[in-house]
Amino acid sequence: MSTRQSDSTDGFEEPDDDKLFRDRVRENPRPAMVWTAGIALLLLLEIGRVFAAVGQLFGIVGFTVDLLASVPASVGGNVVGTLGSAAGFVATAITATLMAFAVTIPVSPSVPDAAVDVLGLDLSRRGHRWAKRAELTFVLVAVAGLIAYTPFGGAFSALIGAITGGVDALASSLPAITSRDLIPNAGHRLPEGGWEGTFLGLSPAVAWTIRTGLVFAYAVAFLVWLWRGFNVYRTHYRLADWTPRDDTVRRFRNNYWGLFGFAIVFLFVVLALWAPAVSPVEAQHNIYEPNAHEFEYLSEDGEVTSTTHVFANLQSRSDGQNTIGPMSYDDYGRWAPLGTTNRGQDMMTHLSYGARTSLVIGVTAIGLGGLIAVVLSLLSSYYKGITDIVTVMASDTVQAVPALLLIMLVSVVFQEADHPIAQPLDGGLLLALIFAFAYWPGMWRAIRGPSLQVSEQEWVDAAKSYGQTPFQTMRKHMAPYIAGYILIYGSLLIGGVIISTAALTFLGLGINPPTPEWGRLIDGGQSYVSTDSWHVATIPGIAIVLVVIAFNALGDAIRDAIDPEADVDESEAAATGGGA
Amino acid sequence: MSQTTAPTTPDDEAETAPDTMVKVRDLKTYYDSGGLFDSRPVKAVDGVSFDIQRGETLGLVGESGCGKTTLGRTLIQLEEATAGEVLFDGTDITSLRGDQLYEWRQNAQMVFQDPDSSLNDRMTIGEIIREPLDVHDWKTPADRRKRVKSLLDEVGLSPEHYYRYPHQFSGGQRQRIGIARTLALNPEFIVLDEPVSALDVSVQAEIINLLEDLQDEFDLTYLFIAHDLSVVRHICDRVAVMYLGNIMEIGPTEELFTDPANPYTHALLSAIPKPDPTASRDRITLHGTPPNPRYPPTGCPFSTRCPVRIRPDEHEELDDDVWESINSFREILRERMRADRSIRERIRERLGMETRFATIDETYDELFGDLSIPGEVERVLRSVADAARTHDESEAIDRLNAEFGSVCDGVDPDGGADPIEPAYYEVSDSGRLSYCHRHDDEHRETATVIDDRS
Repeated sequence: MSTRQSDSTDGFEEPDDDKLFRDRVRENPRPAMVWTAGIALLLLLEIGRVFAAVGQLFGIVGFTVDLLASVPASVGGNVVGTLGSAAGFVATAITATLMAFAVTIPVSPSVPDAAVDVLGLDLSRRGHRWAKRAELTFVLVAVAGLIAYTPFGGAFSALIGAITGGVDALASSLPAITSRDLIPNAGHRLPEGGWEGTFLGLSPAVAWTIRTGLVFAYAVAFLVWLWRGFNVYRTHYRLADWTPRDDTVRRFRNNYWGLFGFAIVFLFVVLALWAPAVSPVEAQHNIYEPNAHEFEYLSEDGEVTSTTHVFANLQSRSDGQNTIGPMSYDDYGRWAPLGTTNRGQDMMTHLSYGARTSLVIGVTAIGLGGLIAVVLSLLSSYYKGITDIVTVMASDTVQAVPALLLIMLVSVVFQEADHPIAQPLDGGLLLALIFAFAYWPGMWRAIRGPSLQVSEQEWVDAAKSYGQTPFQTMRKHMAPYIAGYILIYGSLLIGGVIISTAALTFLGLGINPPTPEWGRLIDGGQSYVSTDSWHVATIPGIAIVLVVIAFNALGDAIRDAIDPEADVDESEAAATGGGA
Repeated sequence: MSQTTAPTTPDDEAETAPDTMVKVRDLKTYYDSGGLFDSRPVKAVDGVSFDIQRGETLGLVGESGCGKTTLGRTLIQLEEATAGEVLFDGTDITSLRGDQLYEWRQNAQMVFQDPDSSLNDRMTIGEIIREPLDVHDWKTPADRRKRVKSLLDEVGLSPEHYYRYPHQFSGGQRQRIGIARTLALNPEFIVLDEPVSALDVSVQAEIINLLEDLQDEFDLTYLFIAHDLSVVRHICDRVAVMYLGNIMEIGPTEELFTDPANPYTHALLSAIPKPDPTASRDRITLHGTPPNPRYPPTGCPFSTRCPVRIRPDEHEELDDDVWESINSFREILRERMRADRSIRERIRERLGMETRFATIDETYDELFGDLSIPGEVERVLRSVADAARTHDESEAIDRLNAEFGSVCDGVDPDGGADPIEPAYYEVSDSGRLSYCHRHDDEHRETATVIDDRS
């Protein structure tokens, strides 16, 4: 058998595939333009929400930056207490420089070399790398110093304020197809029958159903369009006719249990993202500040009067004696698709905002914990020896304390001290960070085997033999093999985080009111399960069970999809077909 | 046959031929066990010296675990040398660090044994072959793509394979891809670590021919590591035979194959199946397994299994079976010496219970029970056993060596205390070297002894 193929390729015209992706699009722009137009239209329909999301992103970034920016000063402040103000200033400067330097390490490779060539030094490769980092650190520290200690800082924060303010203004003024303004469902009955203030005068129930239906239709359309985008790329612009990812996608598409999991997770995420649209009343009015907001209703004596939410909520509690069950109106004409809670708040609103809380905590905790786990597993399997031993000891130390106990302990300490980190989400962020701290050892353990295995592969040796840097070797030759595993364990654990958060809140330790949380709903409704108000604990309970099962199913499906041995026959066929 | 001792000291500049590319001097690579206390390293490569001429193919053969892969990996600095030097065009590469090592790496590359493991499955063929060029910032990205395509053509694949994945190729094709990656940086020296042993026989020949073609085309110098002797005979100009971290014999291929000088080479070559069923020379069967490289024997590394061990004159006439048993006895004593006896074992022994160590009497009976041993010899063996019975194994070995030891075991015939090792003897006009005491004028040559003893 001859493997030399030049005979068969004599007539093979070399395709002009030296071009970049951009050139390929320029050559055949139609599919890409159709797809881009579609996505633009979809985004335009929800432009108000897009800007709201951008505004929230700004808020998160701002909070993180503020937190990091306060570190040097707080270190300095601690030193001032013991060594005097001069030492404090030095400590602040050193901390700031170190932090800036840490930032430059991952960033510097993407900065053009010209930045160092300007200095006109004759440097070795290593010297070049360090010079670039030093230069970047200097720039960062200079900018930070400028902002912190000169009037320029005031101008800078004014600029930031203007930008965020502008985004917020845009978010509230731009329309969105699912917005409450376009399809309002809050209104009051008229004495002569019919409704005032709702969408087209329809009943609040119908208006709400239309809006919620629109949300899910929109989300599904968006998902379908993304899938179409992948297909467009695959058929028109990708150079490889087959990649291992194609098989992964195909295996996932044929896994119905996994698709079920994906569907539920998708619903959950949509519920969280569009919480303001799917909730029948505004959370700000109904949950956070019920006594500051009034609304109108048709009273029993036939008058349209107004009252506050706090008063109406008191009358609408589902506490065994009184029940506003699912699919019903309360006495104030407020539509409650899932009934009300034991405190009279709207269950649907509570559930959707609670999904938001759970999602934020889950994603933050697993994202951060997974990041720590991946970085440590790469380092410990590449360098082995002492790095490995130190990591083992650190993870064993964390794991020696039972996770739930550790989480309770740390969360109580921070909450009692009223640490600034315990403020966001009424302790939600704190909880997420603690979960990340408590769960990284488990994830690290789970991916330690695979990463040790991949570090023994000859392609890692090969990379070393032509002088690839350790960082690039880990990124290109090891990380892709671990990514699959961390995805699986992450999606399995995220269910655990959600249920643990609910459990802690159920015990009154996790997230404080008023931030909505599913665990608190179950806690509040548990004593009414045998009464007419059974729905208070049952609905969030079922929701948690479904979401956790769905995340597990999704994790399982990802594992099966990634594993090429899951369907040996087909992949062999693909290999022979492609290699012929 | 000239029998002068060839100088092997590192400072023989004058002896080096002008076109020597790689000069290895007394290279040692030890693996640390990683234990905190008893850190006896594994001596994978234990003092090796040789030269590789520009443009030649040096074969490196030996059984599994003899350190040939470690030697190859040390030569391209995938392992750190413990001692000695590797001079590459005059630079000692074992001392290179950081940027200098990075620059030097372009000159020396390696083809790996297992084509399944040497290519990253998540990258396209193009990315794989391009990576060395990217790492060394070779010209522009467009030039790199062109170079990859010409390399693909060079190794017998076609440019359209650029965007395929390793999954889609057969073992032979994957090895071609590995070779293309190796060539990307235009190296002068390539270590081929058993490049064909994982392939089908039908594909092996193609890859070997490809390697030969490439050598002619790009003036490459190869270190060809293999255990398949027929492949080595086909492709190599010179061959080095390795055993337990030492080079036993090194010289021109044909000469070494037709007229081996070292006993180990004799044994190794006798393992090649001969197509002629009436061939006269019998196969030399080596007894036992290679010693643990953590505890190599003193003296000659091959002394524990050598079919032509030098025997003291007074015992030369002793039966071969007796000699075999004496050698086994020495091995058992050495083994017992390093076995740790736990407290439990000691107590069990005191109480006369069975331990996991056979008693020395059982061993003795098993080894010498059926043999007829001259009285004088038996007396010495009994005294050795007596010393061993009290767990004084080092004393036992001393007694054994005093009577039966020879230069092969490191016993100095002049009565010196330090163990002596064989030297490299030049055994032919072509400069072939062999590491064996047999080449000394005092002793008979290997081939004669083999005929004698078989």
